[in-house]
Amino acid sequence: MRRMSPIRRIAETARSHEEGVWQVAGRVAVLLPLAALVFAVSVLAVKAYPAIRVNGWGFLTGTKWTYGGGYALPVHTDGVAHPQGSSFGALTIITGTLQSSAIALIIAVPVSIGAAFALTERLPTWLSRPLGFAIEVLAGIPSVVIGLWGLLTLGPILSRDVYPIIGNHMPDVPVLDFFRGTPAATGQGLFTAGLVLGLMIIPIIASTTRDLFNQVPPLPKEGASALGMTEWEVANKITIPWVRSGIIGASVLGLGRALGETVAVALVSGSAIHFAPNIFGQMTTIAATILTQLDGAQTDGTGFAVATLAELALVLAVISVLVNLAAGVIIRRTSALVPSVGPT
Amino acid sequence: MTDERGPDSINASRVQPERLEPLDPVLQALDPDRGRPEDVVCSQRLTLSFGPKTILSDVDISFRRGTITALIGPTGSGKSTFLRTINRMNDKVVGFRRAGDVTFDEQSIWSTHHDVLTLRRRIGMLFQRPNPFPMSIRDNVVAGVKAHRIAKGKQLDVVAEQRLREVGLWDAVKDRLGDSPFRLSGGQQQLLCLARALAVGPEVLLLDEPTSALDPVSTEYIEALLATLVPALTLIIVTHNLAQARRVSHQTMFFYEGALIEHGDTEELFTHPKQADTERYVSGRMG
Repeated sequence: MRRMSPIRRIAETARSHEEGVWQVAGRVAVLLPLAALVFAVSVLAVKAYPAIRVNGWGFLTGTKWTYGGGYALPVHTDGVAHPQGSSFGALTIITGTLQSSAIALIIAVPVSIGAAFALTERLPTWLSRPLGFAIEVLAGIPSVVIGLWGLLTLGPILSRDVYPIIGNHMPDVPVLDFFRGTPAATGQGLFTAGLVLGLMIIPIIASTTRDLFNQVPPLPKEGASALGMTEWEVANKITIPWVRSGIIGASVLGLGRALGETVAVALVSGSAIHFAPNIFGQMTTIAATILTQLDGAQTDGTGFAVATLAELALVLAVISVLVNLAAGVIIRRTSALVPSVGPT
Repeated sequence: MTDERGPDSINASRVQPERLEPLDPVLQALDPDRGRPEDVVCSQRLTLSFGPKTILSDVDISFRRGTITALIGPTGSGKSTFLRTINRMNDKVVGFRRAGDVTFDEQSIWSTHHDVLTLRRRIGMLFQRPNPFPMSIRDNVVAGVKAHRIAKGKQLDVVAEQRLREVGLWDAVKDRLGDSPFRLSGGQQQLLCLARALAVGPEVLLLDEPTSALDPVSTEYIEALLATLVPALTLIIVTHNLAQARRVSHQTMFFYEGALIEHGDTEELFTHPKQADTERYVSGRMG
């Protein structure tokens, strides 16, 4: 047998172990996100534990949010120290989060599907390429930039020229009266927050949906046209159903971003901890509250205010997980009639 | 992707191919097509190009009502393009230009007399590969019926059953009408597409190599089925399979390099081709 140089021998040994190394690396890579999720949630839970004990279910159902305290001595409830007179009910904040994200989704999903449809089916390549690129660029704009633009430019314009048209003319009947009201001059409020969030998630949903539309095989679409269906019917009956589960997935991705978006919402929501009186009313969200209140909460010597904000963060994490689980169920139901793998 | 279950549910012997015979006088009197022009689709000096590329030049031909016509020719000869022109599927192709005309019931298919959606209801199409829609088996059959508002509600179930029986698929799918069509075998999927095309009551059916993706048993079954559709319908079938053209069609048209080289009675064209190119093609020395 030929003698091998030591280096060569090590290289050969490494080669023979290569598969094992890849397997281990693969497992680590797969488990890492899960570990990070478990770690983050447990740290939050530990931090939030005193607040969970004292605030109880009232945290989810109450609407009074006050730090109390002042110069009074801290009091103890169940052995947990907290400022005197503090009361934390986050229902208004949770509601604001869900409302603004819902508005964002209601705006973003149809616009995104429309944009994706135009890019893939209607526009010539010389136009759809740069427009598609623009959408992707929009996804990369930092949220603070969009938030500032919303506060300084979009909000005032809407407040002056658009909101009054709706707010002053909606009939005063149940449901529709939610659209009646006078906006703040800055435009800060629920609708502006929802709109800005919508603009921020459109690129995510639109670019994913465009890629999905490009994957729909041409033959079923041709079949539908050849049967005398209109372009609208082809989109509605063939193209969209073909990738419906993917569109839902993209929307959930966008919803996740809307629920967690912080700076932009903090800038355009008005950061008011009460229920929005109408769709133009000021409000806040979980993420924005944590951002705007953390500084003040840290001055609470008992640490209870920070624990409460941690509890708020935990609620947001739970909402996100629930949304994803619900999406999973919906996707499983809607994909039953679509081929599971590959084109036909 | 199609799960090949084999053609167990397709019984080829049930449908017997039949040559078109002249109708006896009594039946002739009952013929709903009597008094209508004998040629249902006519191409008049049709020249067609996509951008700088001329695909068809000067195609002048008519299709007799109630017959099966096969379009044959090597790949790139323009026969598929010609077929897709008849239901205006080419209109949206980039650079589409035409000279000459195609008429359906003596009216240009591009005239305002024919609205494209109605034209496609009256001229149906079956494709090279089965193309079920992403909806249940039943909804696939009635998709066109719903779009054209031909029937609604409970009538749709009747239409679905009738059309599925017509193509011999009913027994195989009657217990899973709500299921996905993509779990059917390739042959069954193509029959479903045929049922779907027939459901809107077309007068002409264009078939673009309808069996090229199917196994021989399914092919034989579909060929037999096509023979039962005339003379109620007029069929125009593009095929690469010369034996198939010879088996199913009454007339055959031979396309070569964008031109209609020769056409005529199928048996005559195959046994006594008049043109050298036709002779080379049908004898297997070209293509």
